[in-house]
Amino acid sequence: MKKLATYGVKPHDSALKEDGSSWSLMEKLFLGLPLDQYIGQAIRNKFNWVLAVIFAIGFPVIIYRFIFSLGAVTHASYDYPWGLFLGFGLFCMVPLSASGFMLGTTVEIFGRHDFEPIERLALLNGLLGYFFAVVYLLVDLGQPWRLSYPMIYSWGPAAVLFLVGWHVATYLSVQVMEVSTAFFEWIGFQRGYEFIRKGTVGLTVSGIILSTLHQGALGALFVYAPGKVHPLWYSAPFQWLHYFISSIPAGLCMVICVSTIVIYTMKWRCDQRFIDNLDRITISLAKGAALGLITYLIMKIIAVAHDNEWAYIVTGWGVWWLFEIIVGVIVPMALLAYGAHNKLAGICRIGAFITVFGILLNRLNTALIVFNWKLYQEIPHKWEIIISITIFALYIATYRFILARLPILYKYKD
Amino acid sequence: MSSKISRRRFLAGSAAGAALVMHPGKKAFASGSFSGFPDGMGVLVDLTRCVGCRTCEAACNKEQKLPEPALPFDDYSVFDEIHHGNQKRRTTDKAYTIVNRYEPEGSDQPLYRKIQCNHCNEPACLTSCFVGAYTKTPEGAVIYDQHVCVGCRNCMIACPFHIPAYTYHSVLNPVIKKCIFCYDTRLKEGRPPACVESCPQQVMTFGKRKDLMKIARERIRKNPKKYIDHVYGEHEVGGTGWFYISSAPFAEAGFDEDLPKEPIINNVKDFLAMVPVVLVVWPALFTGFHLLATKGKSHGHGDDHSNDKQEGH
Amino acid sequence: MVNAGKQLITGLGILLLFSVLSVSCYAMDYPDEVEIDSLTNLYEAVVFDHAMHVDATENCSECHHHTTGTGVTNEYCAKCHEGDVEMDVVACQDCHSDDPVSPDNLHTAKPDFFYHDDKPKLKAAYHLKCLGCHSEVDGPTGCEDCHAKTEAGDKFYHSGEFAPKEDAQHGAEHE
Repeated sequence: MKKLATYGVKPHDSALKEDGSSWSLMEKLFLGLPLDQYIGQAIRNKFNWVLAVIFAIGFPVIIYRFIFSLGAVTHASYDYPWGLFLGFGLFCMVPLSASGFMLGTTVEIFGRHDFEPIERLALLNGLLGYFFAVVYLLVDLGQPWRLSYPMIYSWGPAAVLFLVGWHVATYLSVQVMEVSTAFFEWIGFQRGYEFIRKGTVGLTVSGIILSTLHQGALGALFVYAPGKVHPLWYSAPFQWLHYFISSIPAGLCMVICVSTIVIYTMKWRCDQRFIDNLDRITISLAKGAALGLITYLIMKIIAVAHDNEWAYIVTGWGVWWLFEIIVGVIVPMALLAYGAHNKLAGICRIGAFITVFGILLNRLNTALIVFNWKLYQEIPHKWEIIISITIFALYIATYRFILARLPILYKYKD
Repeated sequence: MSSKISRRRFLAGSAAGAALVMHPGKKAFASGSFSGFPDGMGVLVDLTRCVGCRTCEAACNKEQKLPEPALPFDDYSVFDEIHHGNQKRRTTDKAYTIVNRYEPEGSDQPLYRKIQCNHCNEPACLTSCFVGAYTKTPEGAVIYDQHVCVGCRNCMIACPFHIPAYTYHSVLNPVIKKCIFCYDTRLKEGRPPACVESCPQQVMTFGKRKDLMKIARERIRKNPKKYIDHVYGEHEVGGTGWFYISSAPFAEAGFDEDLPKEPIINNVKDFLAMVPVVLVVWPALFTGFHLLATKGKSHGHGDDHSNDKQEGH
Repeated sequence: MVNAGKQLITGLGILLLFSVLSVSCYAMDYPDEVEIDSLTNLYEAVVFDHAMHVDATENCSECHHHTTGTGVTNEYCAKCHEGDVEMDVVACQDCHSDDPVSPDNLHTAKPDFFYHDDKPKLKAAYHLKCLGCHSEVDGPTGCEDCHAKTEAGDKFYHSGEFAPKEDAQHGAEHE
């Protein structure tokens, strides 16, 4: 797109063309570019080649999973029933998608409209993260066609997973509605847009309720296995709180990371309002993330004290725990705080990337690495790794597809 | 200020939503603890009697119509099998019960342990299942309904004894496989399970759990030098239907001695209690924040004119 | 002519010997060999060398509890049965029932039989008694050391001609 910009070609950024006629849907899909220019820029983009390779290998493997069963693409482990599909796809993607309710609350509940430029990106981040978490779930479930059973057919209401299922389904609907304003704007359905806007406060509060509970519930799932998760990562009373609190910096930092990637790779799509405000917003988000991280750190230490687990810290697993806490929590917290205090957006961004790494580490630790710490370690099957990468690549491709078209990074000029 | 219509809609919507999500949740008699149905059956497993003949494994295979085993049931090389570097055998989708051999310290005799579902009083598998696929029957068996199972495998995570196995290699109908106390074929009629009946040494005694607990205590009392003074499963994870007495310390026979004495569900009860709190308090809390933060100020996106005619805009 | 005194002493001696013997179980009427066949199904009948075991044990009560009138070896039996006389029935199957283990067996109505609660069934009584001693004195402990499998037994254990074929052994789950 940079090359096209040198020729003065710009993608469409308003409902009407310069001559006053409106763009058709097909034209909007191709970014308002003629077909040959669109294809040209797609081929020139080297990232598309990487995606092509990943999809060429990954999609057949996904089809293979559905034809030849889960046992063909995983270790079919009885001791490790949950692998990367849930360990990464669900437990990691969900906290990183907490941005939806965070920014929605900031703008709509607390009235901080100075965050508006990033609000839609955060909502989209939330929606896509949850949507693809469900995709991972469908690949992981033994009988995915029965996904609706806990909703409509057979209830097990005492189960934490019941809560997770209902909430993810409901929250996905809430997020679809919140992002639909951008979609309606894009396709020009003004009445739909206004209809959703009226219910925004209600939707946002529903989002906070649902997010609090299911972010916490994902942590509570591990409380079913007291002997299996290492004591330093396990806390019967506080596990849910650890997961909920850590989802706040996770969501905020994911927004910082995505906006950083966007500003470097898709600047052509960002309007001036976005570009001018991004650094300021990044610093404010970093402040929030730093606060979230210090709260999380204190709760983790309280949990160790509560169960008197200090002796575990000087073991091998304890060193790993210290690594996670120092590299995954303390270092990014320091960077974010320093960057926010001295108004250095770049430092904040580095801190945000490390925070995301820390969240991934914590979730993968609890679900896979320190799970069954008394038994043996299991490395996921190669097909499982490939499928996980493929779905994540699909997530990135979908993300990019939507960001390039819908008025998320730019406002329609009307 | 929100329009009257949207605030009312929001309050009604969140109250309805709260009611909807809360309704299926809470039993009327929530927080008691359950020590098993009063006439629930159980099995006392006396490890001092087991000689590792594996007849129980063969009997289960026949009764439950399991596939042919990899090795004959009187092949004792299975006791030397090591999986994943340090693990002895465990239950699989083709073997609902297995016997392992252990070498306790200070004893020249090996100790054999039969492993199968312990049919807990308050099973973790049951409490973790979001479609209610597990049932604790009044007879004491913990059984599984494959027709509602979605395959989330949360039960495998939750079971503290690592019992449920899954038929991962089935494409269209993968299901959980585990000992069901021979419920369909025997327990419903009050008969003991196949393994109990087949055992030549009567390692297992079948009866009402409460009676068997007394017998276990009696055996220990009459032979204090023969038994460790502990019945494994009396209180572990809230009490199990199948419980053990042994001549060697249980940890040396592969038992996990760090399990809580309370049922697994107690761990999640506190979190589940948060659900109604959040559903009730959050709407008021955040509406309050919203009103405090935005009263009198202009709010709503610059191009959102849907509330223009309302007061305050 | 025979020495009357010697005859008397010999006769008294023989009488003494018999009377001594008569109060020991060695004077009892016992079968030299017992074919234990009431439970044959998976295994053939056991041909039990009773005479050898009589020589090998010190006291009949080691196997027959308190039923042979030869004193008791178990302190619990002794509480009631010290000094008991020989009973009409001493065979294992006379007291240890053949019934499949039924929960009702755990409750015996008569309070004076309290100590006979938790009585093993017949198959278990045989194995617990025999194997219990054999494992302490290095006797035979393998299943087929005492009874060969029948064809039904081979089928049950998937052994012998019913053993899994070679390739079945390699098809196990790769978990």
